[in-house]
Amino acid sequence: MKQAILVEGLRKTFGRREVLHGIDFSVEPGSVFGVIGPNGAGKTTTMRCLLDIIRPNGGHIQVLGEDPRHAGPELRRRIGYLPGELFLEQRITGRRLLDHYAAISGPVKPGRIDELAERLDLDLDRHTRKLSKGNKQKLGLVQAFMHSPELLVLDEPTSGLDPLVQQEFLAMVREARDNGQTVFLSSHVLSEVQQAADEVAILRDGKIVTVATVDALRETALRHLRLAATGITADDAGALLGRVPGVGALEVLKAGDGVEVSAVLEGDIQPLVQALSTLQLTHLVLEEPDLEESVLKLYGMTGNGKRNGNGQRALEVTKGAGNE
Amino acid sequence: MNRKLPLFRRAFLDPWRSTLGWAAGLAAAIALYLPLFPSIGGSSQMQGMINALPPEMTKALNYDQITTGTGYTQATVFGLIGFLLMTIATVSWGAAAVAGDEESGQLELTLAHGVTRIQVALERALAMALRVVLLAVLVHVLILSLNESAHLKINPQNLFGATVMFAGLALLSGTGALFAGALTGRKAYGLAAGTAIGVLGYVFNAVGRQSSDLNWLLNLSPYHWAYGNSPVTNGADWAAAGWLWGISAGLVLLSAVALQRRDVGA
Repeated sequence: MKQAILVEGLRKTFGRREVLHGIDFSVEPGSVFGVIGPNGAGKTTTMRCLLDIIRPNGGHIQVLGEDPRHAGPELRRRIGYLPGELFLEQRITGRRLLDHYAAISGPVKPGRIDELAERLDLDLDRHTRKLSKGNKQKLGLVQAFMHSPELLVLDEPTSGLDPLVQQEFLAMVREARDNGQTVFLSSHVLSEVQQAADEVAILRDGKIVTVATVDALRETALRHLRLAATGITADDAGALLGRVPGVGALEVLKAGDGVEVSAVLEGDIQPLVQALSTLQLTHLVLEEPDLEESVLKLYGMTGNGKRNGNGQRALEVTKGAGNE
Repeated sequence: MNRKLPLFRRAFLDPWRSTLGWAAGLAAAIALYLPLFPSIGGSSQMQGMINALPPEMTKALNYDQITTGTGYTQATVFGLIGFLLMTIATVSWGAAAVAGDEESGQLELTLAHGVTRIQVALERALAMALRVVLLAVLVHVLILSLNESAHLKINPQNLFGATVMFAGLALLSGTGALFAGALTGRKAYGLAAGTAIGVLGYVFNAVGRQSSDLNWLLNLSPYHWAYGNSPVTNGADWAAAGWLWGISAGLVLLSAVALQRRDVGA
């Protein structure tokens, strides 16, 4: 089968400002593809082009084998879409709103709406405008998933969801993939997509910086290292660790008759372990690879080893979300 | 797709509170104005008062024939309070139908489903038209029911013609608002365009009637097309009705084309 999504040289200009400068990527059917990037990178614009909500100024798009600009409603019935900003201000219940969307999209299996609502812990009988942000987001997710579309296009799907519901959402994404559905989702933080996505595109200022598998990203990712050792001077410790390939942002402090060290490691662990074996360690922490930080590096937003910037906060999110 | 016209049904049925509210407003206005005719419009004192007013003012307010039941109904219900209420209603509906929905971010989600933009514009315009017709029917029925007791002496056939004009005039403002909104995606522009049609139509009529030098303004006034020949008294000018409804239909089609051709929510 052909790609579920094929985008070549996609350009979009609003007024004089070009927001997409020729984007290329493709999404294999039955896979989960995440696109991440800072706010304003062009994620939402790209998604809207896939749905023919806005029209590109250049390039070529194929969605499920068809050109969204000319394929019409039949193509959009095969897609489930969650917009990045969801406004549901009507004075009708969630159930009636979903019935309406069911009437204008693909057929929905009986009982499917209730099943999804139950999974996400959503009350369908409340008026939509009285729902909290998280509950509106759940309604949007039900709306996107309910007709089991071939392709799901989800713009910041986890925004506003609490961690438990985020886990349920990730399970729904995995199930969709196991059913052979394709999922295209976006986020501004990697931690939200790294668990779900097979492949990740990093978008910055309307250009794709890189497309990689999550595993490949992990290999290039940074690990934070902290250790304490006795019987060595700060200079010797600095010299020893400084020779290890991939070690950076080295900080060595004298502590008692030993040292405290913090650093980051990029790449293989083995050379580091060999170097460490010569030390009398009293404390050692080598953290999970910090994908967030390596992505931020790709964004060009932060330097290595800054422990109290965005990277650190994002790191904690990563770890929290990883505790399944 | 087991049911027909889902967008229309949603646009027509969901705002039932609003439809009901406007219906209550119109009913209250009619119930307030018309029963007063025997004691106000029909009395000789009223004629004296009208004669004492500057003739320009009488013409501007369409009070020239206010001492007859038909002229009174024309000037108060169709020409002023009913016109005002209906125009406000249709302008707000027309501006909300596409532009308001777009600004609130909800149109994007609708368009991501299995609908065409032309379908969205047409079904929502149809919902607006049907709400206008519903209110016009109510106005017609209420006036008819007061015809006897308020000594209005309105010919029911003329009343029907006047109601058709009344609905067509309001619909023109509404479809103008719809078109400006669909073209620009801005609710404010829709409101401005619809209001301009209503207000300028009224002003051009009021000014155009002042002197033969300004008569040409009347040709630009939808208000004058509708009410120039006092339809409650003399029956509708059906050609003018055709213009009002026809231009509205044209504006609806243009709205659909405009929406079809542009980015949404950008």
